[in-house]
Amino acid sequence: MSLLDHLVIFPILLPFFAGVILLFPSISSALNKQRVFTIATSVLMVIAAAMLLIKVQSTGIQVYALGNWSAPFGIVLVADAFSALMIALSAILGLAVILYASAGEDKNGAFFHPLIMFQLMGINGAFLTGDAFNLFVFFEVLLIASYSLMIHGGGKQRVQANIHYVFLNLIGSSLFLFALGTLYGTLGTLNFADMADKIPHLSNNELMITKSGALLLLAVFGLKAAMLPLHFWLPKAYANTSAPVAALFAIMTKVGIYSIWRVHGVMFGNQAGELANIALPWLWPIALATIAIGAISVLASQSLRVLCSNLVIVSVGTLLVTITLNSVQASTAGIYYLVHSTIACAAMFLLAGLIQQQRGKAEDRFVTARAMPQSAKLGFVFALLAIALIGMPPLSGFVGKALILQSVTDTKQMAWIWSLILGAGLISLIALSRAGTSLFWRTSGENTTALQGSPIQYLAIGILVALLPLMVIFGGSISDYAQLAAEQLNAGLSLQQLNEVAK
Amino acid sequence: MHYFWVPFLPMLGIIIPLLTNKFNRSTCALATALLPALALGLILFDLPAVLDGQAFTQSIEWIPLLGLNLSFRLDGLSVLFSLLILGIGLLVILYARYYLSEKDHMGRFYCYLIMFMTAMLGIVMSNNMLQLWFYWELTSISSFLLISFWSHSSDARKGARMALTITGAGGLALLAGIVLLGEVVGSYQLNVVLNSAELVQQHPYYLAILSLFLLGAFTKSAQFPFHFWLPHAMAAPTPVSAYLHSATMVKAGIFLLARFYPVLAGTEVWFVVVSLTGLFTLLLGAYTALFKHDLKGLLAYSTISHLGLIVLLLGLNTELAAIAAVFHIINHAIFKASLFMAAGIIDHESGSRDMRKLNGLWKYMPITATLAMVASASMAGVPLLNGFLSKEMFFTETLDQSILGSLSWLIPVLATIGGAFAVAYSLRFIHDVFFNGEPKGLTKTPHEPPRYMRVPVEILVALCLVVGIFPAYTVGPLLDSASLAVLNHPLPEFSLAIWHGFNIPLLMSGLAIAGGLAIYLNRKPLFRFEGLFPAIDAKIKFEGAIQACVRWAQKVNQTLESGSLQRYAFWLCFFALALIAPPLLDLDTTRGSQAEYPLNGAVAIAAVLLVAGSLATVIWSHYRLIALLMLSLVGLVVSITFAYFSAPDLALTQLSVEIVTVILLLLALYFFPQHTPTSKSRPSHFVRDLAVASLIGCIIGSICFALMTSPLDSISEFFIANAKTGGGGTNVVNVILVDFRGFDTFGEITVLGIAALGIYKLIARMRLSMRTKDHDGRLWATDKYPVLLSVISQSLLPLFLLISAYIFMRGHNLPGGGFIAGLITSIALIQQYLAHGVDWMTKRVSVSYHYFIAIGLVTAAITGLGSWAFGQPFLTSWFDYFSLPWIGKFELTSALVFDLGVYLTVIGATLLILANLGKLTTKERLTVGVR
Amino acid sequence: MLSYATLFASGLICIALALNAWRLIVGPTTPDRIIAVDTMYINSIALIILLGLYQGTTSYYESALLIALLGFVSTAAFCKYLLRGDIIE
Repeated sequence: MSLLDHLVIFPILLPFFAGVILLFPSISSALNKQRVFTIATSVLMVIAAAMLLIKVQSTGIQVYALGNWSAPFGIVLVADAFSALMIALSAILGLAVILYASAGEDKNGAFFHPLIMFQLMGINGAFLTGDAFNLFVFFEVLLIASYSLMIHGGGKQRVQANIHYVFLNLIGSSLFLFALGTLYGTLGTLNFADMADKIPHLSNNELMITKSGALLLLAVFGLKAAMLPLHFWLPKAYANTSAPVAALFAIMTKVGIYSIWRVHGVMFGNQAGELANIALPWLWPIALATIAIGAISVLASQSLRVLCSNLVIVSVGTLLVTITLNSVQASTAGIYYLVHSTIACAAMFLLAGLIQQQRGKAEDRFVTARAMPQSAKLGFVFALLAIALIGMPPLSGFVGKALILQSVTDTKQMAWIWSLILGAGLISLIALSRAGTSLFWRTSGENTTALQGSPIQYLAIGILVALLPLMVIFGGSISDYAQLAAEQLNAGLSLQQLNEVAK
Repeated sequence: MHYFWVPFLPMLGIIIPLLTNKFNRSTCALATALLPALALGLILFDLPAVLDGQAFTQSIEWIPLLGLNLSFRLDGLSVLFSLLILGIGLLVILYARYYLSEKDHMGRFYCYLIMFMTAMLGIVMSNNMLQLWFYWELTSISSFLLISFWSHSSDARKGARMALTITGAGGLALLAGIVLLGEVVGSYQLNVVLNSAELVQQHPYYLAILSLFLLGAFTKSAQFPFHFWLPHAMAAPTPVSAYLHSATMVKAGIFLLARFYPVLAGTEVWFVVVSLTGLFTLLLGAYTALFKHDLKGLLAYSTISHLGLIVLLLGLNTELAAIAAVFHIINHAIFKASLFMAAGIIDHESGSRDMRKLNGLWKYMPITATLAMVASASMAGVPLLNGFLSKEMFFTETLDQSILGSLSWLIPVLATIGGAFAVAYSLRFIHDVFFNGEPKGLTKTPHEPPRYMRVPVEILVALCLVVGIFPAYTVGPLLDSASLAVLNHPLPEFSLAIWHGFNIPLLMSGLAIAGGLAIYLNRKPLFRFEGLFPAIDAKIKFEGAIQACVRWAQKVNQTLESGSLQRYAFWLCFFALALIAPPLLDLDTTRGSQAEYPLNGAVAIAAVLLVAGSLATVIWSHYRLIALLMLSLVGLVVSITFAYFSAPDLALTQLSVEIVTVILLLLALYFFPQHTPTSKSRPSHFVRDLAVASLIGCIIGSICFALMTSPLDSISEFFIANAKTGGGGTNVVNVILVDFRGFDTFGEITVLGIAALGIYKLIARMRLSMRTKDHDGRLWATDKYPVLLSVISQSLLPLFLLISAYIFMRGHNLPGGGFIAGLITSIALIQQYLAHGVDWMTKRVSVSYHYFIAIGLVTAAITGLGSWAFGQPFLTSWFDYFSLPWIGKFELTSALVFDLGVYLTVIGATLLILANLGKLTTKERLTVGVR
Repeated sequence: MLSYATLFASGLICIALALNAWRLIVGPTTPDRIIAVDTMYINSIALIILLGLYQGTTSYYESALLIALLGFVSTAAFCKYLLRGDIIE
């Protein structure tokens, strides 16, 4: 095997080694060295992710058998078009977050850089793994890192929100174990492909128990994804943590969505025999309610970060809708929208950090305050992001939204989904236009003492913002790629196919 | 063809004003005008072909999956609108050069203006519906920026937000309509869609499509009941109003109706809805305009009224009406733009727009006054001006109606009344402003504007006259080709003459003028009558409605997100319960075919102890120390159970984890209140939580029972069969941990390491104060480090280490392994901390514990990477047997090195946490309990 | 014979464990409870060894060894907690 044959595991090992090396003497005490090192690693990760993406696109699904034990006995990593895309997304997000934090946010607590690296390792692992228990392990990696990152910078509110987050996720982790135990108890295997193969052949008694286990997993992933009624932790947690961490967390809910997609959309999807689409009856109302409640909360938000957190919830609902629609077309739309919403929300969180920093005590709340020193720059970026988040042209939001609208074909579903998605768009428009006018225009006096954003922070935001128009300009090839991902995703992967690819 | 580049030229031009802003104002304006002028040139270049009745389309694939293509068309309608957009746009650029003051950021203004121009051009030239919508929304965004240009004013902000909200909502409706229409037709290309009228109108979605399109058009074109945003958009600088409310933004809605006329019009619904909306808007606008004291307010309502007129024309079911609509689009754009500019000049040079103050300006600015009067006359529909012609056509068409059945005679009557009000407000505009005495309370003396500020008005007024006098030679061909595009089939005969003889329309015109005069002369009683109604400020109403929504949303939000963790946890558990319980109801029995273990006394007692311990833990959870003791009982019984059921590895692990947990919790407990305040939960919550918890317990128990009594064909057979041959170890558990599923272990030790870092991060800067007494008020013991404990601990250390080494080494083949060994070593070291204190230990262990974690993780990972050198995937294990004299045969495996990594990580993580928790108070320890 | 003896002894130890648990639960003082837990550790050593004897295996030996070694640590920690509050100073 040449080095490139190990490419699949790079997105896990790169941040791992970086995280560990950052703990060693001489680098662990020198913040500047850490910054350079993590930025370099992130660039490497972007390159690796891009290579993986190209490889998957040109040669198909990649399988990596750890310890050279073939599936279902050993753990395999599976990189298909969808996971490769998610890896690329997390790499870019990671780069932006680290750049942003390197301007000074990383000073406010220990181990910021290693923790970010471990966080990325967990996220990438969750995207790549083809094994249910290994998914649990990577969930733990990303969770435990997120617990620590969330309190970065300290402060009472941050810790309080974190306690809610930790507590609920601990319950979630135990439920995850229960669910895995249950599924293993009936299926006797942990490999996703093997599980999918075995599900249609269960006996009657096993069927019901498997169903219980599978649905319990929905609660677990739903908690992570922040779908209704498990979304309560999100607004406080995201709104109270530091800007770079919140931005990175924009992809964390997507991990939950991703898992629901893989497990409930595909494994228990059309090909699951008696257990086909068991989650759909649940997901329907949940998805719609998540959009509705998310939108109401968007309207109710009184600070930019809370608003943005609630937009994350709306995007979660929208993505659930695309999962529920259960078609390649809908998955394509969903995948495109997922990338868009992650980038836009993350960028907005970063921007909110700058706004907060320049508005003194008013922070990012929608109240009259002194004008920001870099109001023009920030306002420009805000306008772009607002346009993207509302789903207006010329940025990528409208493509995602239009694709989703197109993918609804049933008239009854159309009435519900269209009105909710468009209604949520209108509410975001109202809320964001109010937010923008209050933050930037309702000012009294100048604030000259506030900290100016450093160029590196603008670079970080710029990287993300630049992707939004690019996703429209190159919308043709990106949507084609999303379609490829959706096709691979919906086709599923049998154990036999998996092992053939592995050879 | 060159037209394909037309929408791109201004697009490139968006940044030009920003780049040239630093030069002088004229340069900036000139540079800004360059690309639009070029675009206009390109249109003119292609004009002759279009006037011949040709239509061109060009497409490039953009996002095929979406049906979005980069596709432009040039036909009569798009040419007409492009000419208006670019022509009036250029005049506005010139005008704004003089209008904007030094304080205004001219570059930014032009930037928004050009952005808007691009968007408008895009709308009118699109040959793809999604692309049309793309530009449609861009007009909403850029108009928001233009209206709120003077962002310091609250009026501007609110007006802009209102316009954005209303037109944005319409835009969303339009998107829905377009996607629906696209689905029905199967294409988003206009050249396909426009020829599918039959298909569309017979489709069950037709009504939905029509309503969505009309929503889009009516919001944009300020038709009743969405008209209220337009007057408030007047907070924008006047050049913006002149542009947006004459030729462009509001005409986009009209354009939409005209563009989709071939495919959507022609049905009963269309005629009734469109014509009645138009008629009502026409009357409402005309009536309200009369009472506005603000010049721009008057013009705004007049715009609403004229838009209503055009909409009404599009809704009348004759083809000539559609032609008249197109004609009035041109005329309205010309005279309204000039009127707005004139109003801007008056405002600019006299400092006010209030008609109660502005009087007798004729003396101060005769040229401007003349121009404004001609334009107003055109607006009123006075002969020899362009407004007269289209109004005459309008009157003609209203006569020929049947859409209201026997009440159709109302339409011409109401049209005449509308016309009369138009005459009245035009009169007011002329008489109040330019005559009617002397100006009152103006801040500056009015005077003529700079020469070039007036040029745009002059050009437009000249056009009013030229078109009004020689219609057939000027706009005739353009009107023909545009109408051709609207109707999508050959035009009926019509003549563009000023004189059609004495007929009813002429009579209606005459009545309108006479009526207008009469209304204006009797305006005082009318104003008094109008004064009886409370003044409604749509802006305040709208803002109030939005705020009411926000408050409602906040209430909902607060009810849901109460901030109570108990409630969130309840929802999580309840949701999980709701998910897992129903399938079990379909299950006949949980008892599987597997035989059960026989029960004996020891097992029974253990079970009883386990249950009692768990219950006691829960019951005494408020007394933390006691709860912890109960937890030890649970842990102990669990370990014994593991041992009893032949899982020595688990037993060992459970035991060592148990001890570490106890110490960890004891460390933490010290900083907590000893008793949680007794339950403050409401009894109902208590019952609720108890019920959910018990139900979850029961269900998980049932599932476990079902699983354990069922036979299972699983991958574990493979592990047992291959542990020795493939993994080189006889302890299957350990081989699974370090080999088969070594990657899981790799992940888990990372988790452990991160957890330690996280806790360190949390407490690193924390310093907590100490209590001097324990909970029951007793002073602490004085003996910090009891000698007995110190001596025993120290002497036990080697034993501990020996055992941990032993457990570690044998791990691969017998119960044990790196994890357990690591815990034992950690406990041994913690015991020293306990007995000797932090300072004593720090002197002896100088390495920071997070290096242990790092070294451990690196060791494990490097072992995994080692296999790359042999062309194997990550973590592939290697083992072989060797023999040495004296020692005999022994095994070397890579897994042992991996396990060493685990061992080190465990030590590092455990001690990093515990030792640092211990350090929390080291320095502040007071001399307590000395007395 | 040995098997009967071990069974009999296990029975007694189990009863002892149950009694320890009783003391643990009723208390009344915290030191009572700590000693009860400690005694339970000791009794469980015996129980595990007896189990090994009964089944004729040595694989439980380490568990007993660990309980013997580690049980002491947690008891010591509990005591230190009562005496000084802060167990690692």
